[in-house]
Formats: sequence, C-alpha cells, structure tokens
Amino acid sequence: MEIIIEEISRGHKLICRHKLNKSSIHIGRGYQNDVILPDPHISPKHLSLAFNGEHWLIEDKNSLNGSYSEDGKTTIEQHIVNSGDTFSIGKSLIRIIYTDHPIEETVRLSTFENLINIMRHPAVLAFSILLFAIVSGYIFYLNKPTETTFTQFLLPVIGVSLMFATWPTSVALVSHLTKHEARVLTQLGMSFAFFNLLWISDIFNSIIKFNFSSNWPISDLYALVPIGLAFCLFWLNGYIGFHMTARRRIIVAAGMTLLFFGGNYLVKITNKPEFSARPHYDTTIMTPEFMFLPSSNVDKFILDSEKLFTKAQKEAAKKKGK
Amino acid sequence: MKGFITLILVLISSLFSSLSFSLEQAEEIFKQLAPSLYQIRLIDKSSGEKSSIGSGFQISSDGIIATNYHVISAFARHPKKYRIEYLDYQGNKEELTLQSVDVINDLALVKRITDVEMPFFKLAEKVPIKGQELFSLGNPHDLGMIVVPGTYNGLKKESFNDRIHFTGSVNSGMSGGPVVNVESEVVGVNVATSGNQIGFLVPHDKLVHLYQSFLLAPPTNIEQQMSEQLSQNQYKLINTLLNSQWKSKVLENAIIPAIDVPFIRCWGDSNTDKSDALFFATVASCSLDENTYLSSNFFTGTIEMEFRYMQAKGLSANKFYHLYEQQIQGAAPNNKAAKEDVSEYQCHHDTVMPTNQTITNKSIFCTRGYKKFPQLFDILYLSASIDKKKQALVSHFTISGIEQSTALAFTRKFMESIAWK
Repeated sequence: MEIIIEEISRGHKLICRHKLNKSSIHIGRGYQNDVILPDPHISPKHLSLAFNGEHWLIEDKNSLNGSYSEDGKTTIEQHIVNSGDTFSIGKSLIRIIYTDHPIEETVRLSTFENLINIMRHPAVLAFSILLFAIVSGYIFYLNKPTETTFTQFLLPVIGVSLMFATWPTSVALVSHLTKHEARVLTQLGMSFAFFNLLWISDIFNSIIKFNFSSNWPISDLYALVPIGLAFCLFWLNGYIGFHMTARRRIIVAAGMTLLFFGGNYLVKITNKPEFSARPHYDTTIMTPEFMFLPSSNVDKFILDSEKLFTKAQKEAAKKKGK
Repeated sequence: MKGFITLILVLISSLFSSLSFSLEQAEEIFKQLAPSLYQIRLIDKSSGEKSSIGSGFQISSDGIIATNYHVISAFARHPKKYRIEYLDYQGNKEELTLQSVDVINDLALVKRITDVEMPFFKLAEKVPIKGQELFSLGNPHDLGMIVVPGTYNGLKKESFNDRIHFTGSVNSGMSGGPVVNVESEVVGVNVATSGNQIGFLVPHDKLVHLYQSFLLAPPTNIEQQMSEQLSQNQYKLINTLLNSQWKSKVLENAIIPAIDVPFIRCWGDSNTDKSDALFFATVASCSLDENTYLSSNFFTGTIEMEFRYMQAKGLSANKFYHLYEQQIQGAAPNNKAAKEDVSEYQCHHDTVMPTNQTITNKSIFCTRGYKKFPQLFDILYLSASIDKKKQALVSHFTISGIEQSTALAFTRKFMESIAWK
C-alpha cells in the first residue's frame, strides 16, 4: 500500500515529500526510521503508521512531547488517518496523503508567459533600462536652467536608475525568501518596461492638458491611467514572483495600488493648507507642434471666465457662515 | 574782510530770527488748537488695553472728530472686539462712536458726546500755494502732541486719488492729525509717509465732501457705505483706464499695450548682463502706485501688469519651453488677503487666438470673491504665447477689488492688445 508523507512548514509550504510502499512506517529522529526528521523536539522513535487492511492507523510511540492533530487539541494515540490530515510533532508538521488524493486542475500557461520571456531577454532588458536612463537623463537636462555637460548627467541618471531598480529586486528578494523562484531578471525587465510606459503616459497627459481647456474634465480622468498601469505592474510582479490563486493576485495588486496611491493622496490632503491665497492653475505648455486642437477666440474665453465669478461669489458666501 | 564777516553775521542773525518767528508761530498755533486735538485709540475690550493709536481733530462744535479710516479700521471690521476712545489735551478719556467713513481717501468721522459748544478746527476754503508753510499736528508714537512745520508741494502727480505732497516728517501715530496753514485752517489730513521728510496728506476738500454728505444723510450701515465707495472707485478707475489711449509699445518682437495715464508707472529689466543665461529675457512691469487700505493685511484697488519677452539662445525648443513653463508658475497677486477676507481662487485655462491678431496664447484667468463685499473680486490673468518655437511672450495682470463687468471689459481689451510684431 503506497502512502505519501509530506514535511510542511507552518505556512503549509512543502519542504520534503516521501513516497513509501510499506504497510508499517516509523517516523522519528533516529536513523532506523523510514522517515527521519531532524527536529530536536522529536523523539528518536516518535510515531508509527500501520495499515490494517482497511485504514491507516497512526500511533504515538510514547514520545516526550507527544503528537497532536494540527490544531494541537487532540492527542494522537490510536487514530484513523484520512488523506490530507496534518499532524504536529515536536515543532514540525507532517501531512499524510493517499495516492488517490484529488489534485487541482492543471494551470494553462498564460499568454503573459511569452511577454514575460521577451522582457527577460538580456537584449530587451538592457534596452528597457537604457531607455529609462536616457529619458531620466533628458528630463534632468530639461530641468537644468544652466549649460550642462554629459558628465553632469551620469551620476544622477545612474542614481535614479538604481533607485527604480530597488523595487523589482526587492520583489525578487521577497519571493526568494518565501521559497519561490527569485527571477530577478524577469522582475527587472517587466518593471522597467512599465516604468517606460509611465513616461509615455506622462507625455500623453501633458499633450491632453495642453490641448484641452479646463472645460473638459479629461485630465482628471487621465489620472486613472497611471493608477491602472501601476495595478498591472503589481499584478505582473505577483504573477512572476509568487504562486497564488488569480483572485488572491488581484486582491494583492489592488491592495498595493491602493497603498501606494492612497498613501500619496493621504499625504497630499494632510499637507494641504486650510486656505490657499495663491491661485492653482495649469501651466502645461509644449512646443507648437503638439498643438492639435483649434484655439478658442476671446469671446469664448471671456464667456468661460464669466462663469468663474458666480463660482467665486458662491465660494465667498459659503465660508462666511462657518 | 570786515565787511564780509558783518554780512555773514547779519545773514545768520536774520536766519535765526526767521526760525524763531516760525517756532513762535508754531507754539501759538499749538496752544490755540490743543483743545480740539485728540489722540484716537482703539481699546481691546477684553484686555482693556489700547491696541492701536492715531490722531484726530474736532471739526464741529457738536463733537464730530475727523481721523483716518486706517486708525479705526479694526473697529469697523470687528465692532464687538474694540471700542474707540479719545484722549484729550487734559488727559480725559471718553468713548467715541463711528459715524461715517471714506475708505478710498482714508478718512473717518467719529463723534464725542458734548453738552456745550466746543472749539473746533476750521476747514480751509482754498488750496494752499506751492512752497507755503504748513503745520502738521499729531501724537507720534504715543509721545504726546507735537507740531511739525513743513511745506506744501502740490498734489502728487502719479496718484489716481489726490494726495498732497508735504515736505515734513509725518510719523506713525500722527495719522489722522490735521495739517493747518498759518491761519490755523485745516488744509489736509496726515495719512502716510515715504521716508525722510516726505509725507502725504489727504486734501481738505475730501474731508469737506465727507462731512457735508454726512450732514445731508448720515450712513445707516458703514459696511454698505464702504461697499458703495469701493464699487464707485473701481468703476471710475477702470473706466478711466479703458477710455484712455492704449498705445502699442514694442517689446523686442512683441507688441504690448501702454496705457497713457500718469498714475500707472512702468519699470523695466533684462538679463543681458548675464552672459551664461540660456535665454534672453526682458521684462516690463507697470502698476498703480496706490492702494486702498481695508485692514492691516488686506489692501485692495491695486493694478499690476507685467510683460516678459524671452528668446532662446542656441537652445532646443523643448528645453526652451520647459524653462519657459517654469517662468509662468506661481503667479500670485500681492494682495495678501486672508481666509476671513476672500474665497480661494477659481481658475480657468484655454488656448486663445484673438481674431485679427497674430498670436496664440495659453490663457489663464483666476478670480476670488470678497466675503464682506460680494460684488467685488480679485482677478488674475496670465497668458503665455505658444506659437513660436524659440520666442515667448508672457502677458499678465492682476487687479484687486473689481466688479465682474469691469473686470471682463478690461480683460478683453488687454487680450486684444497683445500681438507679435
């Protein structure tokens, strides 16, 4: 009669699996056992399993610390084992499974797998990081109000790239620590591809802000784009680094997005003064070739401005009452 | 040689005698007028201590006292927090009631209770002549009543609302005190100083006007009265501007308006001295040199205009626009109003190409409302040209304490007078 004995961690991660074809099995710290466990809290002869023709029976061999069901409540003396039962001995956990134990359905390889493999390719990875570095260097150049030389960019660009690389590497580190495959290159490739997408979405945002007047709430709606991108990135980070159910992955990614943007928003509203004497207006301007929509005329502008007076008057009347 | 020394001695002695004459005159004037001079003080009701001081003078036998609006402005805004009190030359203190204000000319009338006919200052009937000797009276820095001799130097040319230029020191605490001629008639009221020996006075005709309209119909509500005065003044000011000639002025490759009125003064600057600058920039800014005092941190009635022309020097268009964008951030009016005075700004932006003009701008218009005077607003307009790759023109103005219709009329005229050459 075949039986499988799994050593598992407290988080139910598989440590080691033994498949035995015997009707009597001994478990303990001693070398004479069929399954040898190194946990010092386990007795040399701790536990035995025996098949009686119908059931597997588990029996504690008068061990020092005893054997318990997983919840620690029931002491094991002479006990019928069901497939999938978990027992606590010493500080270790073992799970007993029969060969006919049901298994989950095979997971189909996702189409992302292809994309992920492309991103991991050293040439693509190098291109992503280089593109990121070039864009951040260009932004650094644009912001510098004085003459600049190439060497001045080098340090900040490397700094920024390393800073952004900490995210994928820490995700990889966490998956390594939780006994998953680290897949550092894949995480790096995917993250940098998304950082570059965020640059592109920034450019689109500027074009929209530049072209549309404040009559269109489109730039407010556009704020959803980086949030969506961040969600996708977190989802993919999870997909690459950890085995979990699809639902759980969505929850984790949504949670991360909420933490990141919600936290940012919280900081913003906390720092917002109660009253601002300065006007807040949009200053986005771009070179003439980015102007795609026709301009308004003065009449239209005056008409739009007129509406502000009613708004300002209402605002002034509102806070008077306090 | 002897003759020369005698001449000098004669000159010196004559100088002394004229000086002593002037001093005697001042002393005489002071003695005669002292009973009608007061220190005006605002008393914080809860602590019972004075929170601000100024001067005032009686202008009628039944106890009407004239002073500056800014001396009693805190009371006008928070009548529950303060009371107004006078301190006369004999050290008597009594409460005063606020009767009428002229917020534009910074004047106020307060009244003391009296059963008897009292001596008072006569208001002059004619304007002094340039160089005429005047005497300013008041209580500077709570040091006691003093008299300061000085000279009348005509009206200040650059002011929209008349102010007398008085050569003599007017110090804080003397605000609201009278300035008299040798006949002891009031020709002006101390109002401001501009440093060494330059003082400004409100001409007496403003006080005459305020007093006469008070006699005709005393205001029922001071806030209402202020509101009407502010509306009237902004209407007069903006219409004067709109009806004046708007000359086209060249600022490098751009055409900007120059309003031909003496009370708007312009200044200029450029960065041609900075050889390492990445773009050439020149700026012309014009402003009204006066404002209306509402409270210690709330001024209104100001106008500022600024034009900035920029041209890239061997710089990519992208970088030029990036630096250009930084130039148009953070514009704010210098009216430091607070939460209790105004709402927050409401803003609008659009790209605008005026018909018949060769310029496309990104234009921004912001406005905020006044809480006490619901028909008044502060406005801010800023436009940045977006049709040239390596040249840019920023045109900007702010006006405080303006009504909607005048604000929009001014904005329209301003927008239509900006163009490329």
